Order: sequence, then structure tokens, then C-alpha cells
Amino acid sequence: MINIGNQTPAQVLSQEMGLTEQAVERRKRISGLEPADLERISSIKNLVLAHTEEYTSVFFDHLSSLDEGRMVLANRALAERARQLKREHLAAMVQADYGTGYVTQRLELALLYSKAGLDLRVFLAAFHYLLKSIGSTVMKHFEAEPVVGFEAFMSLKKVAFFDIGIIVDALVFERERVIRQQQEAIRELSTPVLQIRERLLLLPIIGVIDTHRARLITESLLKAIRANRAKVVVMDITGVATIDSKVANHVIQTVTAARLMGATVIVTGLSAEVAQSLVVLGIDLAKLNTVGDLQGGLEEAEFLLGYRAASDPSGSFGAPAPRS
Amino acid sequence: MSVPILKQGDILIASIQSALSDQDLVELRDQLADRVGRLRARGVVIDVTALDVLDSFATRTIRGIAYTATLRGAATVVVGVQPEVAFAMVQLGLGLDGIATALDLEEGLALLHAGKVERALRK
Repeated sequence: MINIGNQTPAQVLSQEMGLTEQAVERRKRISGLEPADLERISSIKNLVLAHTEEYTSVFFDHLSSLDEGRMVLANRALAERARQLKREHLAAMVQADYGTGYVTQRLELALLYSKAGLDLRVFLAAFHYLLKSIGSTVMKHFEAEPVVGFEAFMSLKKVAFFDIGIIVDALVFERERVIRQQQEAIRELSTPVLQIRERLLLLPIIGVIDTHRARLITESLLKAIRANRAKVVVMDITGVATIDSKVANHVIQTVTAARLMGATVIVTGLSAEVAQSLVVLGIDLAKLNTVGDLQGGLEEAEFLLGYRAASDPSGSFGAPAPRS
Repeated sequence: MSVPILKQGDILIASIQSALSDQDLVELRDQLADRVGRLRARGVVIDVTALDVLDSFATRTIRGIAYTATLRGAATVVVGVQPEVAFAMVQLGLGLDGIATALDLEEGLALLHAGKVERALRK
């Protein structure tokens, strides 16, 4: 786990995203940043530094001209901090030093945008206005030699796209964080093994079974069999909408593994469609003990465990003797 | 390391205590086949609780023991397959088809005493 104690959130994020020194170098290569670019950027350094305030205003003016942007800037403290970071960004952009420190600075701003709920398209539009206004000052300055001015501006643009790459990745990463957390939650919820009677477990399966989930289901079932000393397991697949040969194999594997531990598995809740598709697929379910619905499955399980009317003298399934 | 075979009434208990070499397994098979006849055992329990690996040879040998013992008149139960072992066996396509299994020694003995092994076999 990452040590958060003495690190800023941006540093933590940079680690989570794997933005090591090599990764940053790689990103620079992708953007096509060369030593010649750095030189050209240095040539317009003072020009840009003289106008940072103006460029920052252009960026935020465009944001506040849009409904989506205004909502974001409603939080005054956040907006103030964003302005501050943007000024620092513009200053850093022309320092011709784009290492991990620079990247962490970008991430801090990205985190702020993410917190404020700034949409990517809004950010990109505002960033374009900012670049445009930098472009016009540069071109005005190099009026006599437009080619030199254009080249210097294009070099700066490489840095700008390098920045956009980081910001977009960070915003997407932050958005996917929610998805990752939800997946984790679903995974935990998705394999409950319930004991409904002494030595009788219920395993309700709902949703899609993929290889990963099948593995988790099997593992938690086997552990529960040992922990609860289970003899019979009712596996209810009413909630599994479709079954293909892969899923059927997972079910068979789970059943076989449970049997190795001395537990009988009863599969219930095969819908008409599922049953038909299994037949069509030609999957041999002879190994499976299937009962139509959950109720029938529980009755069968209780029968195997010896819960039944005392008048029935037929043999039990190695279970505690029927109460007389 | 050889496996001790204990006699408990008319049931033989082979309790595997540590990882076995192929040679040890073959020895266990021969000894059990011999004792089932000599001691007129009615049941055999093979306890694999201590094993954290069951490879294809071990699985095949255990299956062999069970079939041999059955042919000589003793029902066989394999007990104590660990969750991890069961999972690995299924992944590798190894199985104990047609052999009764139980959670632990106690369960296995109960199964034999109740005379339910034949029934379990059919499952």
C-alpha cells in the first residue's frame, strides 16, 4: 500500500498511475520533445512570463462563459487555488524542465479539476483558448520573422500536448477509480455462502459468471464447506440469465471440487432456456444433481441430511440418524 | 516415509502424515491390498488431511487403492481433501470419480458405519 503519511495527494496519484521517471521520459518521446524544442521555448520564455496573468484570465474567462465551467468555479476557494496553479503551470511550461516534479504539478491541477467535476471537453476548449492567446502574442512579437515565431510556438505546443496527455489520463484514472471501487464491492458481494441449516449451505449465484468469478465462487464455497462442516450444498442459479459451455464447465468444476471434500451439491433453478441451451450445447450434466427450483432443492437437501418424517425408514445419506 | 495403517474394529485407517514419494504410495497400495484380505476389513479410510498437494500419480494410486479394496470386499472413503487441493485437482482435471469422499476422519467413519458408501458411490 502507498504511504500517504508524508506525501501530497498528487504524489500518491503519480505513484498509482505509475508515472516514474522512465514513464515521464517515454511520454516526452511520444510528444516529440527534442533539445531543439527546449531552446526555442527558452527564446520565448520571458515573453510568456510577462503575460501569464493574461493567459490565466483567458482560460478562466472561457470557463466562466460556459454553464458547465461556471458551476465548477462556484467554489471560490477551489477556483482561487486553480488560478494559482494555472499561473504556476504557465511559468513552469517555459522553464524547459519537464521531469517528475513538473508532472506532479500537473497532477495537482488535474486532481483539482476532478474534484470540481470539470468535464474534459470544457477543459480542452478553455485550454485551446489559452494556447490561442499565447500564439497571438508570440506571433505579434515575431512579426518580422513569422517562421521563427511559429516554430517557437509549435515547440511550446508540444509541451501543451504533453500536459494534456497527463491531465486527460489523470482525469480518466480518477473517474475509473469509482468503477474500480464498485467492482471490488460487487466482487465481495457476489459470492455469499449461507448456512441455512446445520450442515446445509446455500450458494445463490446472480449475474454473469466469468472465469475469475467462478474461481472466487469455488474458493469461497470450499472454505465454507470446511468451516461449516457442510454435507450438502444447494447451488441456486436462478439469477444466471444465460449459460454457455464455459459457464457450464465452471459449474461442473465447482461441483466436482465440493464432492472431493465430501459434500453433495444440488443445482437448482435451471430455467427452460438454460436447460435447452445446455442440451443444444451437448454438455454432459450427468454428474450434476439437478432439481427444478430452490424449494425442491432444499427439500432434497433436507432429505439427504435426514430431516424427514420419522415414518420413512429408508436410508439416510450418512447423516445424523433421523430423530425418532 | 511409510504410512501407518491402523486397525479400528473392522475398518483400516491409512493416515498420510506428510508428502509421499511415488515409491511410498506404491508401498501403501500393496500393504493395504494385503491387509484388507488378511484382517478381513470391511472398510478403508484414507486420510489425506496433511497433504497440500495431490498430483496425478497420487490421485491415480489412491483411485487404484479404492478399486482394489472394493474388489476385496472393503468399501473405501477418502477423507480430508483440503479446499486448495480440491480446487487444484479440479483445475488439473484430476478426480476421484466413483470413490466416496468425506470431510474428515469422523465423517468417513460415520459413512462406513452407516453402510452408505455404496450409495455415495452411485452419486
